Amino acid sequence: MAATFFGEVVKAPCRAGTEDEDEEEEGRRETPEDREVRRQLARKREVRLLRRQTKTSLEVSLLEKYPCSKFIIAIGNNAVAFLSSFVMNSGVWEEVGCAKLWNEWCRTTDAIHLSPAEAFCVFYHLKSNPSVFLCQCSCYVAEDQQYQWLEKVFGSCPRKNMQITILTSRHVTDYKTSESTGSLPSPFLKALKTQNFKDPVCCSLLEQPNIVHDLPAAVLSYCQVWKIPAVLYLCYTDVMKLDLITVEAFKPILSSRTLKGLVKNIPQSTEILKKLMTTNEIQSNIYT
Amino acid sequence: MASRYDRAITVFSPDGHLFQVEYAQEAVKKGSTAVGIRGTNIVVLGVEKKSVAKLQDERTVRKICALDDHVCMAFAGLTADARVVINRARVECQSHKLTVEDPVTVEYITRFIATLKQKYTQSNGRRPFGISALIVGFDDDGIPRLYQTDPSGTYHAWKANAIGRSAKTVREFLEKNYTEDVIANDNEAIKLAIRALLEVVQSGGKNIELAIIRRNQPLKMFSAKEIELQVTEIEKEKEEAERKKSKKSM
Repeated sequence: MAATFFGEVVKAPCRAGTEDEDEEEEGRRETPEDREVRRQLARKREVRLLRRQTKTSLEVSLLEKYPCSKFIIAIGNNAVAFLSSFVMNSGVWEEVGCAKLWNEWCRTTDAIHLSPAEAFCVFYHLKSNPSVFLCQCSCYVAEDQQYQWLEKVFGSCPRKNMQITILTSRHVTDYKTSESTGSLPSPFLKALKTQNFKDPVCCSLLEQPNIVHDLPAAVLSYCQVWKIPAVLYLCYTDVMKLDLITVEAFKPILSSRTLKGLVKNIPQSTEILKKLMTTNEIQSNIYT
Repeated sequence: MASRYDRAITVFSPDGHLFQVEYAQEAVKKGSTAVGIRGTNIVVLGVEKKSVAKLQDERTVRKICALDDHVCMAFAGLTADARVVINRARVECQSHKLTVEDPVTVEYITRFIATLKQKYTQSNGRRPFGISALIVGFDDDGIPRLYQTDPSGTYHAWKANAIGRSAKTVREFLEKNYTEDVIANDNEAIKLAIRALLEVVQSGGKNIELAIIRRNQPLKMFSAKEIELQVTEIEKEKEEAERKKSKKSM
């Protein structure tokens, strides 16, 4: 406590900690309103995994309910476009469920009534081999939601006999290297794998001090902790929106053991990809 | 570290970078590809046409612009910045003609544009121009020229170059396929430009625009039909080459 010139008593800041801790506690106790706001916010940001037909929530995690031997996860619009054109048109895939979530990055403000068109993470399995799963995730999963997402998809005690492949992209300016970014052959592919992943990777490994961020990092960390073989293919590109050349940079992965059996018609896939590009092109006159 | 040194253009970072200029070069990569080739008797500029909205008048979306009767340029990057630079260059071309009674040389107008760009990398409160330009033309002495400028204000003469999105891929293609035989023939030079663009253009011939200047002749813009013809020829040649290859391997 200190007295100022004007006679008021001001509490002097002390780095040793507060002396009157009991007094502090009383002032900081949560009011019922705080609790209610916190509860509403948690409910708004909840990750919900819904079944396809009934649109009801799954009681157990996705991979506890369905057995899985291969799981391919595409995160981001370029990875999603790659799987849509190259993998999903080479077989019959059936939608199993979807994950709906809301955070500040979402375009809609209504968290409860997300329309079916806004299902951000869709899960499919191959009809001819239902243990092969695919996830198309085109939304941003915030840090506080990543753990919930992992729990709802993988569960708290996952099986170890499955192989996970994650595809995602990142802007090349995030790539730390001693070379100048102008000389990098972007887009280019880098891989990061868990200790238990023994298959050969289709490109060079991600060098230090580069790190992976967001949901791909969460999934890979989870797999490393639970000793699940998993590999992440990260495409560094200089065009963050949907771009043909970035999507085609993922092509080396088609020769990997995971995807080899799943991809059949490559020329047709390229055509489908071109169509996807033209329908998704946003008109902008800023750059010519 | 970059975040502390990219606020004002006039600040160098401790390791000597001018981040705003480097960021401007990123803006250039957002524009569609443009390729320039200097032949023996012809200069060619090819660009990937930007897709035009349904209600938009196509004539107002141009990447290749004439600066004078004997000089033209293609740009990649911010449209508005390009408009300002092109206007200034055009005025300079006419002013030079009236003052000195001679048309500008390609090098002169390139230097003018590059100096203008450099000024904006050293002024307070201004950002650099976010465009790279390929400037082609014939001088009075009949020699063909191709120059490239970038946001930093540097300019260099090139035999062939590409700017914009996927410029690296196109440049590598040109390095492999630019030969003295190819450029000696006008038609082959045109085909080389189209082939280079087809490497990266998303939907084939209908998204390509081409302009050529021949010695002592004005700028000629190719029509869509003419480009289609060239593309068909190129595809035929490709098929023939593949057939020959498969015969050889058999």
